[in-house]
Amino acid sequence: MDIAFWIISVITAVGALLAVTLRNLVHCVLSLILFFLGIAAHYFLLRADFIAAVQILIYIGAVVVLILFAIMLTRNVTGTEGPREILGGKWWSGSMTAALIAAILCWAVSVDKAAMVAPAGAQAKSSVLQIGKILIADWVVPFEVMGVLLTAALIGAVVIALEEVRRRR
Amino acid sequence: MSIPLGHYLMLSGLLFAIGLGGALTRKNAIIVLIGIEIMFNAGILNLIAFWHYKEFAVLTAQMFAIFSISIAAAESAIGLALVIAVYRYYKSVDVDEMASLKG
Amino acid sequence: METIYQLLRSTFAKAPDAVLLAIAIAIPILFIVAVYPLIFAYTTLVERKALGRVQNRYGPNRVGRWGILQPIADGLKLMLKEDIVPRSADKLVHFLAPVMAVIPSLLLFSVVPIAPGLVPVNLNIGILFAFAVSTASVLALFMGGWASRNKFSLLGAMRAVAQVVSYEVPMVLAAVAIVMAAGSLSTLAIVKAQSHGFANIGGWFVWRPWGFVGFVLFTIGAMAESARTPFDIPEAESEIIAGYHTEYSGFKFALFQLGEYLAAIAMAGITVTMFLGGYLGPGSGPGFFGGLMSAFWFFTKLGAMILLNIWIRGTWPRVRVDQLMAFAWKVLLPMSLINIVAVGVWQYMPSRGLAWAATTLVLVLSFVILSKLNATGTIERRTYRYAS
Repeated sequence: MDIAFWIISVITAVGALLAVTLRNLVHCVLSLILFFLGIAAHYFLLRADFIAAVQILIYIGAVVVLILFAIMLTRNVTGTEGPREILGGKWWSGSMTAALIAAILCWAVSVDKAAMVAPAGAQAKSSVLQIGKILIADWVVPFEVMGVLLTAALIGAVVIALEEVRRRR
Repeated sequence: MSIPLGHYLMLSGLLFAIGLGGALTRKNAIIVLIGIEIMFNAGILNLIAFWHYKEFAVLTAQMFAIFSISIAAAESAIGLALVIAVYRYYKSVDVDEMASLKG
Repeated sequence: METIYQLLRSTFAKAPDAVLLAIAIAIPILFIVAVYPLIFAYTTLVERKALGRVQNRYGPNRVGRWGILQPIADGLKLMLKEDIVPRSADKLVHFLAPVMAVIPSLLLFSVVPIAPGLVPVNLNIGILFAFAVSTASVLALFMGGWASRNKFSLLGAMRAVAQVVSYEVPMVLAAVAIVMAAGSLSTLAIVKAQSHGFANIGGWFVWRPWGFVGFVLFTIGAMAESARTPFDIPEAESEIIAGYHTEYSGFKFALFQLGEYLAAIAMAGITVTMFLGGYLGPGSGPGFFGGLMSAFWFFTKLGAMILLNIWIRGTWPRVRVDQLMAFAWKVLLPMSLINIVAVGVWQYMPSRGLAWAATTLVLVLSFVILSKLNATGTIERRTYRYAS
């Protein structure tokens, strides 16, 4: 079963790396889909089934479609895939920062001896019934606030993207 | 399954750094938003890994994960709407060209 | 899969675990891959013949008696056709789009139970997995339209994505009402919750007021999801040539058709599981003979749903794009939310008669109010003029 972790981790990391390095935007989104699938597989390995299904439903079902629509609506007028030079100015400081952060995080985790030992004992499990119960009982206020937030985001996104049409009239 | 917690933390740290590198390096605003999504997912993976290894009787971490996923989706919707609105004005999604607030 | 594993374990007690597990995994996969595409092939034939009869003509009847060999002929023709890829098309995305049309449809079959205990994968989150996977089928539409570098394909893809995403919401909310009534997301548990009734038929959710409304909402949503008439704007031949699969020929086109029909059949399977009692029917139950009767009832009901789909396709005209969106957001979505409220009312009424009365009142009242609010004009009496 350990081999599953390594295979899925490699797929996830490769997906994330390709998503930020490829030149063609639609290919970036395709590797982003691979990344999201890898993360969902990790959630299944960690016995968080509901979160895995929610990840596939929300990220691959909705966020990827959103990104694809945005790519379609913001194509360059010349019709090429993207600017010739894909890196912004001073790109070396950005990548050095990212590499430094990766090194520091990995070092900080490897120093902690207790975290590097394989655990023994009971397996985690979660049930959707429990999640539903505490969502309505303990976490009802954040739940309602999230509903208001999503409504505000919906209305805001529509207003921002529609602005030009109103101004032209 | 005998993967230590540390491996999951290192994986999520690595993914976070990849997303950060992408967000800081690329010129296209949509790739920056993709990098931010990768960072979000790495953080939530971290959360769920801690839930599995440390305290799986209490489902608080799964609640956090559900709320974080929803808020990340809302944020990406707003971000992409902003990108579309900015594209209409500047006629490009190049972040180097959106420099009218500079100096 | 687990049932097969237990059966193998009890028969071959001394065999190594990995071998038994591999066989127990391979058998459901082979079943899905063998049975459902065969159902797809003969659905295409039945559809063409049924549509022909609706339109007062015979369907295909040249290739073999009653056209039985027609699907084989079609398959051979599409496989041997030249595979044309437009020169400026994005090769990787063009290749992957038909593949991504088929994968979600095949994955949907893995949570549909055929007989008591016989479901390919017994997930705790069965229905949620089914919806998560069906939202992934949206990507195939978009990739097909984008990769062809054709303005009409792109337009067709945009409309298809807007349609599919809009109709997912009332469909999932209608399923939420059923999940509330059954108390679990697992498909086996949903079928078991419908087994308390007269001759295994009376307990089906479709005979309850909220179940009937949910059935109608889910069927409409499922037809719009797989882009079948009257919601086939994405591939409306008279409007947009062939929409997102204009530039596909040969085997890739066959894969798109396979994905679309398999999605329709899989959605019919999930409708049968959630509303029509899955494998329940007189004579179904545990044991070998009960299992056979269960499978018989399941495939009969699946065939009935497919025939309903074909009948609606042959009879109703296509819905216009703006009417489509208005229908989804202004009529189906409020109706599905009120359906959820109705299930809540049903569960908490003190007596059964009161529950029937209250839920029927709520649903009928809300339907009447919604139709009055969304009416776009009076329907005039149709006058026919014939040549004399």
